Amino acid sequence: MTTIAERTGTALAEAAREARAAWRPWHVVAAVFLVLAALVPLAAPSWVHVDSLANGFYLALAATGLWITVGLAGMPSLGQGAFMAIGAFTVAVLTAKAGWPAFPATLVGVVAAGAAGILAGVGVVRLRPVFIAVTTWILTWTVTLFLLAFRSVSGGAQGIVVPSGLSVDGHYEVALALLVATIVVGASLARSGAGIELRAARQVPAAAAALGVATARRRLGAFVASAAIGGLAGGLAVQLAGVADAGEYGPYLSFRLLVAVLIGGVASALGPAAGVAGLALVTGAAGLLGAVEGVESARFDPMLAALLLLAVLALGGEGIVPLVRSLFPRPRPDFERRETPLAAPRRSPASARRAAPLLVAESLTKRFGNIVAADAVSLELAPGEVCALVGPNGSGKTTVLRLLAGVYRPDAGTVVFDGVDFADAPPRARARRGLVRTLQGSAAFGELTALENLIVGAGLRRVHGGGLRAALATPLARSEDAVTRDAAVAALSDVGLTWAADARAGELAGPEQRLLAVAAALATRPRALLLDEPSAGASLADVQRLDALLADLRERGVAVLLVEHNLRLVRAVADRVIVMAAGAVIAVGSPQAVSADPDVRTAYLGRAAL
Amino acid sequence: MSLALQVLVTGLAAGGIYGLIAVGYSVIYRLTGIVHFAYGELVSLGVFATLLIAAGTGPVTQKTAETGRFVVALVLGLAICIAAGVGSYLFAVQPYLSRGSTVGWVAAIVAVAFAIHAMLAAIFTRPSYVFPDPLPFRDLGHDGFVTLGGASLQIRSFFVIVFAIALALAARWALERTRFGRGLQAIAADAEGARIVGVPVDTLVALAFGLAGGLAAVAAIVAAPSGTVDVDTGALLGLKGLVAALVVRFGSPLKAMAAGLVLGVVEATIANAHIGTWELGPSYREVLPLVLVLLFVAVRPPLEAVEELE
Repeated sequence: MTTIAERTGTALAEAAREARAAWRPWHVVAAVFLVLAALVPLAAPSWVHVDSLANGFYLALAATGLWITVGLAGMPSLGQGAFMAIGAFTVAVLTAKAGWPAFPATLVGVVAAGAAGILAGVGVVRLRPVFIAVTTWILTWTVTLFLLAFRSVSGGAQGIVVPSGLSVDGHYEVALALLVATIVVGASLARSGAGIELRAARQVPAAAAALGVATARRRLGAFVASAAIGGLAGGLAVQLAGVADAGEYGPYLSFRLLVAVLIGGVASALGPAAGVAGLALVTGAAGLLGAVEGVESARFDPMLAALLLLAVLALGGEGIVPLVRSLFPRPRPDFERRETPLAAPRRSPASARRAAPLLVAESLTKRFGNIVAADAVSLELAPGEVCALVGPNGSGKTTVLRLLAGVYRPDAGTVVFDGVDFADAPPRARARRGLVRTLQGSAAFGELTALENLIVGAGLRRVHGGGLRAALATPLARSEDAVTRDAAVAALSDVGLTWAADARAGELAGPEQRLLAVAAALATRPRALLLDEPSAGASLADVQRLDALLADLRERGVAVLLVEHNLRLVRAVADRVIVMAAGAVIAVGSPQAVSADPDVRTAYLGRAAL
Repeated sequence: MSLALQVLVTGLAAGGIYGLIAVGYSVIYRLTGIVHFAYGELVSLGVFATLLIAAGTGPVTQKTAETGRFVVALVLGLAICIAAGVGSYLFAVQPYLSRGSTVGWVAAIVAVAFAIHAMLAAIFTRPSYVFPDPLPFRDLGHDGFVTLGGASLQIRSFFVIVFAIALALAARWALERTRFGRGLQAIAADAEGARIVGVPVDTLVALAFGLAGGLAAVAAIVAAPSGTVDVDTGALLGLKGLVAALVVRFGSPLKAMAAGLVLGVVEATIANAHIGTWELGPSYREVLPLVLVLLFVAVRPPLEAVEELE
């Protein structure tokens, strides 16, 4: 048993080693570039406007904050301008009216924006993307209309004159440092367990929930982080500008920040900064156009920004950063499909095991309107037992799995797992206790690599897996990352997909993706697995691999409940078969006994033989 | 008493417009699952395209309304809005629906909104404009006002209320009784299924967006003469309509209209209400309903707004 201190020490040494190993030539280029950027105020020619650059950095900071919500968590927020406004006006009121010094006022601005983020986020994170867009849009209007209506807060049309705690050059350095730090932290968050879980929940929310990902909590964390960073950017930018003007923080700012994220590229933490640079070029172009036409250039700016976004979207572009990356192609690892030799299934007769049942369901009933989808279904599942749940389409098999996993509340009946009553336990609590379900169809996360898919599952066993720890890459989080990764690697090898570790799951064949979904469930170290049609669309070889896997699970004492249409597989692996028809269990027994049952033959199979 | 009547009538008149816009949002959402963030700007487009054709960017007087050119302008304004409705679907919605990217169409449709707004702001630079009334309500009563129970009421208001409710009823009739409307309902229920049984889905949806654009223009023409207008008027009306539609979960035209009317009365009440000596006043008029709706969605989100985890 190692102490936390020892683990921290080991992880630090490990981190230093990794950092040395991961050093690449482009890091030198980036470092030189950063040093030069930091020196700009000292040696800038007169045509360089340091204040404009600093302001751009603050905008990029807010956009990078928004990227956590939009890019990582996949929530289309139109509300980042509102959080900048809250930060800005908190600082303005505290410094100009209450006479606070700049630094504590800025901190309070960050806290205020973060608190607003918590309030808004609690309501928003459970919603579908469309409704997230609508509510954040209304939010940004609410803040703007509030500021316009209450002049005592916003100073009306004149705004509030805000003293600055820093010189323009000071702002430039602070803005640059904060921007770089946020990008680095954002990139590290994206690669961490928390970031992988956010990306998984973005793609297939149901599958992530089934693996026990605390989606709502993760998303709330992302939303609040975005809000706080927005508040920081707003609070500092308003000091740089010297005046807080309510008109500058409207829905249009929210839109611009979203545009920056999208044209920069949602896939990368560098995207938003690149997007802000792109928008700055647009503003420059608008200025030129304005000069030619003799009109105030600000009038063209929104139009050009809108057209630029529409062009990027219409061309199907993924943004500036992916475009630049594609100019410098990295050698892609070659994935060679390798058939892992199948271990001969070790069989022991089911009758040899007489373990006490792990999962006991009693008279589970679920109605949808007039339809009784599950009618007083009772079943037991023992450790080391593979039990198949079969029945015609619509007989209620998947409903039973959902009742067991806690997705549905039963209208009547109980689920007891390992002696614990699961009546009120949500899916995540059940998963943590070891009852894990896979979904019908391909439920792998296509944009994650195969290994990352399994890290989502293995993440269920984390203790120090908080998003903040992950973003800051604390030693404890890093050491746990390593443990999680090892578990994921082991689970990947269990299903014979080690060769595909770094391949995107979406590039794998359908049956391989389904196998991957099973492996992700395995990586949670379950004691009971509920598998929903894992063999759909599988070839004979794939079915054999599944067969071997199930036999192996049985050896390890995992209880398996398998919804399956492939009767060959059922006959080969199942110790027991439960037959359902029209929501009710009509037969239970060994595959041979059940297939001989005349009731089953008429109700389920017609006249065909099992 | 007279104040209550005043509040009720002005509130219902404003709410009728919110209701019309809410009907537009609801029909589009039911059909495609998208929220037309540029809908308010279509209202602005209706107002300013008509003004531009009627009198250029210069000042307009009530006399303009008596010219034949103004009638032409009304018709062309309507046509432009219909075209913009169809265009917003073809260029900003349809491409992203097929890609299944929510953030894509959200950004695209908001971009359309700001593009329209920026265009109008670049052409119409004065702080406010007068939109002449196509119907001569000014000649009725005392300069367009009538005194009822001690309250001085704009006669126009009654027309707006009746007209808005009639339009919502007509929309319901069209959706339920016409072949076109039944096609739309089939698409709303199951777009793929409708396509398979031979409903021309793309054409009907594009047409519906056109009609929604037309509805925006009608709302603009009905609303604009009641006061002065500026380039932000449409965006605000669009926001109110969206709030009304959200409260009834983008439901049937009658529900959307009812929500709009209620919102209008609530706003008017807040603007005139005082609790004890503490007066709420107009400052709260815009903000308070928005806060209430956000709280409503946060505390009791409509079932379909919640992400399904299955």
